[in-house]
This record gives sequence, structure tokens and C-alpha cells, in this order.
Amino acid sequence: MLDVVVRSIYISLAATLIAFTLGALISLLMLATPRRLSGLLVGVFDALVGVPTVVVGLVVYMLIHPGGPLGFLKLLYTPTALVVSQSLVALPIVVTLLYRYFEQLWGDVRELVLSLGAPVGKAYLLMLRESPPALIAVYLIAFSRAIGALGAVMVVGGGIEGLTNVMTTAIALEVQVGNYEYALTLGGVLVVLTVGLSLVARAVGGLVWR
Amino acid sequence: MEVRLEDVWFSYDGRRYVLRSVNVEFKGRGLHVVMGPNGSGKTTLLKIVSLIYKPTRGSVVVDGRGYWDLGPGERDSIRQHIVYVHDKPIILRGDVWYNVSLGLRLKGSDSYDYLEELVERYGVSELLRSSSRSLSAGQRRLISIIRALALKPRVLVLDEPFNHLDSSRVRMLVEDLTSMAGSSLVVVATHYMVRELMGSATRLYELVDGSLREQG
Repeated sequence: MLDVVVRSIYISLAATLIAFTLGALISLLMLATPRRLSGLLVGVFDALVGVPTVVVGLVVYMLIHPGGPLGFLKLLYTPTALVVSQSLVALPIVVTLLYRYFEQLWGDVRELVLSLGAPVGKAYLLMLRESPPALIAVYLIAFSRAIGALGAVMVVGGGIEGLTNVMTTAIALEVQVGNYEYALTLGGVLVVLTVGLSLVARAVGGLVWR
Repeated sequence: MEVRLEDVWFSYDGRRYVLRSVNVEFKGRGLHVVMGPNGSGKTTLLKIVSLIYKPTRGSVVVDGRGYWDLGPGERDSIRQHIVYVHDKPIILRGDVWYNVSLGLRLKGSDSYDYLEELVERYGVSELLRSSSRSLSAGQRRLISIIRALALKPRVLVLDEPFNHLDSSRVRMLVEDLTSMAGSSLVVVATHYMVRELMGSATRLYELVDGSLREQG
């Protein structure tokens, strides 16, 4: 069981790191785009947050299956496929949360710097100083979203023992063979992990003002 | 320092104008008071005077030069002399000392004597190590006012500075603004006239529905 838990965590950490990096770049680029366009984009990402993870898995599957445009990479049923799918599951929530945070913060910090007669460039330094607690909170929320993405990892990973079997797929597969005790224990670990991270994210988010 | 608004119009959405053909000259030194009800455009006017907002139409002339026609470097060098205190104070994460000394640090100054004097006089010295999160509305306003006063700017613009302050702090602030107005230009916007300010104001203006009228 421990190997399944550890595999789930490192795959989700890698996926979240990719989603977070891409999401931060996209949200910063959106800040620099005209307001009407960024409003449209944030609406699109808002809608993508609600897309079922199995659909994300299906899209990735169509891209990486042997006959797909990226089939030559031979990613299907590998941990890399799981990382890609989970990244795509977590990306929209990272973009929407970071964009709204940066938009509010940039408005305040820019006005503050200008109001104190300082060059606007100083606002970037203040942004860096203000951001860490919110960034950590968003990372943890995205991690919770990634680690719980059953549909996406089932389609592209297949839950192969010792390779792509992670907590969510293991729970689904063990229930099918009637191993309820194992499934419940893994379920408990997953709940503790996701609820625990949500609480930590909430506490870290609260540090924004400390 | 002289800030002149020539036929200034301002709209947030491109349809409804918050300011309409405002012509006003804030010159040299003195205490200028702009009065007007909520929603009359005071904050917008003050942010234009403080060179934070660019007017939709019209010109802002600072010391004889159209500010928004200048390059970024020249704009920065003019704006460093103008400080604006927000109606809703912007306070950052950290303790009170970090926030109150932010203006000086942004300018690279290490001269904190006057700031320490202000902190003492306005009675916030005991708060210096407190989290900015725990401040009351009045304390947040005091922090933003002290932060601005400490910079000793040539132009100081304050938006509703008396809200949430107790009467002794209001008196103290009027005294400081009056004294500062002897050598600098001070512009205050308020929706109600503070009695102590009446005798000190060099000029009074009234802003109603986006139009500015001089009262005397």
C-alpha cells in the first residue's frame, strides 16, 4: 500500500508543479492583455474547472494512444501520462485563482507605489514580497485537485500494478474485486491527505495578511 | 509646484463622465479643500491631481508642462514630489512599522527621525510590532497618513483623511496640514467640513456631479 501512496504523491507533486508553473505564466500574461480579452479567458478557464476529469483523460488518451498525433512518444500507460493528465486537470483552477489574486494585488500595489511617489517598477518587488502565502495556498489546492483526479488517470494509466496504480485507481480496482478493507484504508489516506491539505492551504492563505 | 487641470473630463467606462470640464489650478503652497457629497467625483479628481489617473480628455499641466505628454523618466521625476493618501488605505502584509516606513524605504531614504516623531505624536508607537491585519479602520488611516507625512512631499493630496479619526487626532492632523501648507501644496477632499479646517483653508472648492466650483 505504501508504494501506491508514495507514487500518488510524487506523480501529483510533479503534475502540480507543471500546472502551477504554466498557470502562473498564463495568469501573468492575462494581466498584460486588454481587459476584455482577459475577462473572456478567465471565463473559459472558470468553465474548464468544472470539466469532468475523465474527459481530460480522454483528450490526453486521444493524443498519446499509438495512433494519435503524439503516439510516437509511447506515453500511454506510463507515469508520465498520469503527470500530463493531472497537470491538465489542475491547470484551470491554478489560472483562475492566480489571475484573480494577481489582478487584485497588482491594482493595490501599483496604486500604493504611485501614491507614494515611487517609480511603478517598485510595485513588482512588492508583489514578490506579498505573494508567497497565496502562491503556497494555490499550490496546495491544485495538488488536492490533481491527486483526486480518478477519471483522468484511469483512462491514460490503466492502474497497472507497480507502474501507474495510484490511490484513486487502486481504490476503484480493489472495490471491483471485493477487497473493501484495502479500498477503505486507501480512501481514508486520500481523505486525510486532501482535507489536511485544504486546511493547510486555508491556514497559509490566512497568512496573506500577517 | 503647480498643478493645473485644463478642461479635464474623466470616464471609467467610456460612457458616463465622472468629471466634466474641470478647470482648476493648485499653485505653489497653501491648503486647498475640495468638498462634495459621496459619488461626486472627489476621489477621481484627486487621483488625477496626484498623477495616478490619466484624464480621458483634457490636460494636466505640472510646472508648465503637459504631464502625460512626457516620457516615463520625466514623469517619475515629477511624481516623486507628489504623495496621495487613499480614501480606503492600502495596507500590506507585515507589521505596522513595515507599513508606516514603506514610503521612505521605497525612496531609499534612511532618515527615520521625522517618521519616529510622527509615530510618537499620533500615538501609534505601541502598535509598531503589531500585525497590520489587526488594525482598526482609524488605525489604518493613521498609518497611511503618517506614511505620507513622513515623506515631506512638495504636494500632498489627502482623500477623506478625517474619516474614522477621533477629535484629538483630527485637530492634530489639521495643525500638521496647516503647518505643511506654509511650504507645500496640500489638497484635501472631504464630504463634510471639519470645523478646525475652516479657518486654515486657503481655498475652498465644491464638486457637484463632476463639476468643480470655487467657493472662495
